[in-house]
Amino acid sequence: MARRRPYKRGHWPVHLTLALISALMLVPFYWVLKTSLTGENIFAYPPSLLPHDANPFYFVDVWYAIPFLRYLVNSVVVSVMVVVANVFLNAMAGYALTRDFPGKGATIMLFLSCMMIPFQVTIIPAYLITAKLHLLNSYVGMALPLMSTIICIFIFKAAFEAIPHSLVEAARIDGVPDWQIMFRLIMPLTKPAIATNVILSFIWSWNSFLWPLVVVRDVNMQTLPLGLSRFLSVVEDTTGALYAFCVMVLVPGLLIFLLAQKEFIKGLTSGATKG
Amino acid sequence: MKWSWLNNRFTITFGTILVLVVIWNVYISFHDHGLIEGRVVGPNGAPVAGATVTLSEQTLLVNQERGKTTTDLHGRFKFTGHHMHRPYLHAEKEGVGQFGPQQYPLYFQGEDLILKRPLKLTAQAS
Repeated sequence: MARRRPYKRGHWPVHLTLALISALMLVPFYWVLKTSLTGENIFAYPPSLLPHDANPFYFVDVWYAIPFLRYLVNSVVVSVMVVVANVFLNAMAGYALTRDFPGKGATIMLFLSCMMIPFQVTIIPAYLITAKLHLLNSYVGMALPLMSTIICIFIFKAAFEAIPHSLVEAARIDGVPDWQIMFRLIMPLTKPAIATNVILSFIWSWNSFLWPLVVVRDVNMQTLPLGLSRFLSVVEDTTGALYAFCVMVLVPGLLIFLLAQKEFIKGLTSGATKG
Repeated sequence: MKWSWLNNRFTITFGTILVLVVIWNVYISFHDHGLIEGRVVGPNGAPVAGATVTLSEQTLLVNQERGKTTTDLHGRFKFTGHHMHRPYLHAEKEGVGQFGPQQYPLYFQGEDLILKRPLKLTAQAS
């Protein structure tokens, strides 16, 4: 069992400052939650810090005003597809980048340079390819551009490189094929990288707005961010309901992050301490 | 361990959510008969017979009258089979006064609503 470090009393000013900054960063979340429970006008002056007459009825309004469950299912289906594809494809790409092959340097440079191209630039070719594949207005079509991301490939690459090379060599001498080395030996040792991939790809997919807006035509195929936008355009003067909808969209992503934050932070820093 | 996967924060969190959803849906299934019951009383607190009670729905998308009834000799009224989550009640009787319209937000559509406080008619300002 790890021993806890003794608390140094001299650190309290730093901790106090950090606590204040953290509280300050949480203010917008608190304000959204408060408005969703009270429906108070956000421009009211002086603003009230504590909620008065808080009730959950704006959430009930949203639940019945829009097909929330349908949007939620669509978002979950697309996000699950994206997460599974990301872990699988990025792990394979990351593993390939840890091996020596002709043109490895050029491949890495190509990946890095592709990261500098904004998605908006590639949206028309992406749309044309999706249309050619007859995937418009489908879950696969919505998930396709996010199924592999370069940042996550490099997270896997860094995690794989942190594993002792002798371990892989020993398995190879025993005649274990590459795919088994990756999925049965290396992947179980890189859980933080997997968690980072899951969280990042889930959040990107969950919050994705522009691409689903382009490929989805049917109202029943819309995801939560599209539903939020539609809700805004159809219903006016609904401060409380609008904020309740925002909370309902935010909660799943927040929950996933809070549950996996330990692995997420480990995954982001695992490559940084190498060597 | 065979059941060790149960002692996991993901399983506990999502399992708890699932259990709460099931409990909530069971509760709804026993309380969604769409019943609204109450009483109408006059300014002096006495039951008002023959008062007209109007049930209407006002949500983000709808604003419509859903039913009308009159109170019995004891001032009681009853609506059945509603599918609303934001019903409004309005009561009036000529010569006595009127009440509302007042909203009664519900936690789910068709929730049974037994009003503990009667609808108290107040004299209209001329």
